[in-house]
Amino acid sequence: MKCKRCKEPAVVALPSHHTGFCEPCYLQFFQRQVKRAIKEERLFTPEDRILVAVSGGKDSLALLWQLRDLGYNVHGLHVDLGIPDSSDRAKTAIAAFCDQQAIPLHIVSTEEAGVAIPDLAERIDQPVCSFCGKIKRHFFNTYAVEHGFNVLATGHNLDDEVSRLFANTLGWKTDYLATQGPLLPADNGFARKVKPLYRHSEFETAAFCFLKGIEHVKAPCPYSQGASFTLYKKLLNDLETEQPGRKLFFYQEFLRRAKNSFQDHAPKHPPIAPCIRCGAPTSAEICSVCRLRNKLATT
Amino acid sequence: MSAEIRSQAASRYEQDPITVWVEPEDESCQFPSLNTVQQLLNRLGLGVNDALIIRNNTLLTPDRKLQPGDHITVRHVTSRG
Repeated sequence: MKCKRCKEPAVVALPSHHTGFCEPCYLQFFQRQVKRAIKEERLFTPEDRILVAVSGGKDSLALLWQLRDLGYNVHGLHVDLGIPDSSDRAKTAIAAFCDQQAIPLHIVSTEEAGVAIPDLAERIDQPVCSFCGKIKRHFFNTYAVEHGFNVLATGHNLDDEVSRLFANTLGWKTDYLATQGPLLPADNGFARKVKPLYRHSEFETAAFCFLKGIEHVKAPCPYSQGASFTLYKKLLNDLETEQPGRKLFFYQEFLRRAKNSFQDHAPKHPPIAPCIRCGAPTSAEICSVCRLRNKLATT
Repeated sequence: MSAEIRSQAASRYEQDPITVWVEPEDESCQFPSLNTVQQLLNRLGLGVNDALIIRNNTLLTPDRKLQPGDHITVRHVTSRG
């Protein structure tokens, strides 16, 4: 296979784009897709202060590298989940990466905040992913708002977004369909949230990290077994093999043609006010993370 | 034909297997004969963009030929949590 642009031997085949690229042309393609996502969805500008949520996986590190390379004002934030071995490996990989790239890194410890994931997993009878997600979102937003970052960027990729869209469509969750997308504007104590990698598949971010020599965490989260999005990703990958380009088409056309028709179903939030314990924005008197902390203290 | 010559002739057709290292499972397996990356993907039940295929620190596209004795890394790309 030859590179579509320069006719040198290709190292990456992308059936979804009916093309293949050599290393330099692939890196250029990757950068252009990110620039296109930022421009088309008006995610942010060079004047914005951007906090990138960094897990240590391929997507968040690729995002951090690419945004910094494009000249944006980026810092990394890692929420240390306190999971033995797994969290230590992630923290080591992130610290090494940020140190090498001279990117400012901030770390928040869930253990120090009294909501370490292993403690919650042991004592609360709920799927770990449900409260883990809440905790991460809470600390990302709190840190962004308290430290003057007006944009919070995550490494969600096309596969993440399409599997979520697929799940929301299967369940006709019209309130979620009304708000799903790569941009969630700032509102009521919540920072603007953006997903600049929404045009890239997991394969593309993995290939990017490999070619740039970015060392990332490869082992799955020990609590993630049986998560429904993994099943949906597999179904969608099988579909993509039969119909290359279907995932990007499904997502892009949702944004272009369908999302607006769900606006009447957008959730009508009860009034948002600061949590009486920690001050984070919440629709209840006490935010969900403080409630989890309470549960841990009383069980 | 002597037994020694027959043995040498047979060994010419006995190719070294292709050794495959699968990540993140960290498992190893061998295939006695595979001609291309696409054949390897088929044997593993993978689509073209389900995994990175790596040889000698280089990414391979599905049309690339494999050689007897190759050591290949298959790195699944689907993140789980």
